[in-house]
Amino acid sequence: MPTLLSFLLLLPLAGAVLQLCCHRLLPRRLLEVCACLAIGLSCLMAILAFVLSRGRTSSFALYQWIRVADFQASISILYDPAAAVMALMVTFVALLIHVYSVAFMAADKDYGRYFCYLNLFVFNMLVIVLAGDLLFLFLGWEGVGFCSYALIGFWYKENANCLAGGKAFILTRIGDVALLIALAIFLASGAGFSLSEVNHAAPALPPGRITLIGFLLLIAAAGKSAQLPLSVWLPDAMAGPTPVSALIHAATMVTAGVYLLIRLFPVLSLSPAAMTAVAAAGALTALYGAASALAQTDIKRVLAYSTISQVGYMVLGVGGGAIDAALFHLLCHACYKALLFLGAGCLIMACNDEHDIRRLGPGLRRRYPLLFWPFLLAIASLAGIPLTAGFFSKGSILAAAFGSQAAFPLLWWLLGSFTAYLTALYSFRLLYLVFFTSDHGKAGKRRPLPLTMTAVLWPLAVLALLGGLINLPLGTDSGWLTGFLQIAEEGRNHRVPELALGLLDALLALGGLGTAHLLFGRGRVREAIPGRALADFCRQGFGLDRLYQLLFAGPYRAVAAFLWQGVDVSLVDALLLLPGRFLSAAGGRCRLWATGRLTTSLHGFLLGVSLMLILVTLKIYGLW
Amino acid sequence: MIVPFGHVLALGVLLFLTGACGAMVRRELIMVLIGVEVMLNAAVLVFVAAALHWGQVDGQIFALFIIAVAAAEVAVGLALVLAARNRTGAASRDQFSSLRG
Repeated sequence: MPTLLSFLLLLPLAGAVLQLCCHRLLPRRLLEVCACLAIGLSCLMAILAFVLSRGRTSSFALYQWIRVADFQASISILYDPAAAVMALMVTFVALLIHVYSVAFMAADKDYGRYFCYLNLFVFNMLVIVLAGDLLFLFLGWEGVGFCSYALIGFWYKENANCLAGGKAFILTRIGDVALLIALAIFLASGAGFSLSEVNHAAPALPPGRITLIGFLLLIAAAGKSAQLPLSVWLPDAMAGPTPVSALIHAATMVTAGVYLLIRLFPVLSLSPAAMTAVAAAGALTALYGAASALAQTDIKRVLAYSTISQVGYMVLGVGGGAIDAALFHLLCHACYKALLFLGAGCLIMACNDEHDIRRLGPGLRRRYPLLFWPFLLAIASLAGIPLTAGFFSKGSILAAAFGSQAAFPLLWWLLGSFTAYLTALYSFRLLYLVFFTSDHGKAGKRRPLPLTMTAVLWPLAVLALLGGLINLPLGTDSGWLTGFLQIAEEGRNHRVPELALGLLDALLALGGLGTAHLLFGRGRVREAIPGRALADFCRQGFGLDRLYQLLFAGPYRAVAAFLWQGVDVSLVDALLLLPGRFLSAAGGRCRLWATGRLTTSLHGFLLGVSLMLILVTLKIYGLW
Repeated sequence: MIVPFGHVLALGVLLFLTGACGAMVRRELIMVLIGVEVMLNAAVLVFVAAALHWGQVDGQIFALFIIAVAAAEVAVGLALVLAARNRTGAASRDQFSSLRG
C-alpha cells in the first residue's frame, strides 16, 4: 500500500520534472504522451489503491521532515475513505483534462510550460488530498495556489491576464495566512501537526480556542474556495486557458477549501459558532453566485459564478454537519462542471474565440451534436433536474441544512432552496441562449472540433447523469458513500422529511426550467433579471470588486503613493542627494579651470606667486 | 651706491610686473618667452642691487647663475617653440590644449 500511494503521489511530480528538464530535447508528441501517461498511471494507482484498501484507513510516514525536541513534522500520508474517493476523482478528471488539453493547446508553442504546470498542479492537489500532516498539507496548499497563479497568467503577454493571476494569488494568500495562524495555534496548544492527532486532541482544547480555529479555517477555505467575502478572484481567473479553468477553477482546487474543512471536521464541529458561520458563508455565497451568474454574458464567467455558487452549497453542507453530503456534491459537481467548462472550451474554439453567449450564434446544436448532448446532461445535472447526479447531491445538502445543528437552520435552508431555483434558471438560460437561438440568423465561420475534445466529454456526461447512484438514499438506509465514509449516525437529525424536501427540490428545479423556457424559449434574447440597474449590479458581482477597490486597494494605493512620492523620493532620496548635488556643483566650478590651455595655467601660476609674495611682504612688515 | 636702494627695488618690481603681464597676455609663444626673460632680468637687477647694498658678493654670483639659466632657457624654449610650430603649424599658445587630456 505505501508503494502504491507513493507512486500515486509522485508520478505527476515526475511528469512535471520531465516536462521541465526535457521539453526542448524531446519531440512534442512524446512529451504530450508523457504528461498524459503520468496522470493516467497515477489514476490507475488511485483505482488500485481504492480497490485494495476496501475502505480501510492506512497512514504512514514517507520521510521524517523536521524533528526538534517535542515538535515533529513528517511527509506522511493519511489514506482514509474520503481521501480515497477524492484521489480517484482528482486523477480521473485531471486525466480527461490532460487529454483534452493536448488538442486544445495544439496551436500553442508553449506546451512544455503548460504541461509542466498542469502536472505540478495535480501533484500538489494530491498532496492536499493525501497529506496526513498539516504542514505537508500546507505545502500542497501553497503549491496549488502557485500553479493556479502561473496558469491564470499563462498567456502572460496580455497584462490583464497577469493582473488576474496576481489578484487570485493575493486573495488566496489571505486565506493561506489564516490557515498558517490556525496551524500555529495547533502547535501552541500542543496538538502537533498530524491530522489524526489534531482531530483526536481537539476535544481537550478550550472552547474559545476551538472557535477561533474554526473561524480561521473558514477564512482559509473561503480564500481557496472563493467563498464570500474572498470570492472576487474566481471570475477573473477565467483569463487562463479553458482546460485550466475546468481543472483548477472548477473541479479540483476550488474544492480544496471544502476538503480541508472535511478533513478537520472533528475540530470544526466542536464549535457551534464556527459551524453557523460556515453554514452562513456557504448559503450566502451560493445565493450570491447564482444571482451573479444570472446576469453574466461571458460564457466562462457564467460558469465561474456558478462554481462559486456550487462550492457555496458544499460549504453549506459542511456547516450543516453533513460532510458526506458535501463530499457527494463535491464529486458530482467536479464531473458536471468540468464537462461544462470543457464544453465551453469547445464552443469558444468552434466560434473563433467568441465568449459572449448572445453571439455564439445559431446552428450549434445541429452542427455539433456530439457536443450538445453531453452539455445538455451537464446543464440538467447542474440545475438539479430530478434523477441526475446534481439533484441527489444538492438534495442531500439541502436536507442537511434543514436538519442542521447550526443556528437558524431554516434560514440557510430557505436561502439554499431559493438558490436551487436560481441555479436551474441560469443553467437553462445558458443552454437556451447558446443552443436554442433561432436558426435564421447568419452563422459565423465554424471550425471543426477535434474528436478528442468531444470524446472526453462523454465519460463525464455519464457520471453527471448517473453519479447520484453512489449515494442514493434507498429506503431508510443511507447511501453507499455515507457508509463508505464511516460517518457516525447518532449525531444525525432523523426528523428531516426527506421525501417532502426532495419533491420540493424537484419542483424548484423544474420551475427554474419552466421560467427559463418562458423567458428564453423560441430564440428570445433578453435579460433574466428585471430592471437594468439590478441586472448591472448582478453582472458586476454585487459590486464587490468596486467595494474592495474603495475600501482596501484604493487606500493602499494612496498610502503607497504617499510613501513613494512623499517619503522616499522627496525626503530620503533628497537628503541623500544633497551632498552629491553640492559636490557635483563644486566640481562644475572647478572644471572651468581645467581648460588645458597654457594661459589658464600661467594665470593660476602668477596668481599663486603674487599671493605668496604678498603674504611674505606682510609677514616681514609684521602686518599679518 | 649713488642710486638709492629703494629706487632700484621699485624698478625691479616694475620690470617684473611688465614681464609677467607680457607673459600672461601675449598669445605668441615667442612673446611669452620674452616676457619670462624680462622677469628673470628684473630678478638679476634686484640681486645685483642687494649685493651692492649689503656689500656681499653672493648676490652677484646668483646674478651670473641666473644669466646662465636664462641662456639655457632661451635655447631650450626656442627649440620647443620651433618644434611645436613644425608639428602643429600653430604659433598661438591657446591652440595647445592637449594637457586637458
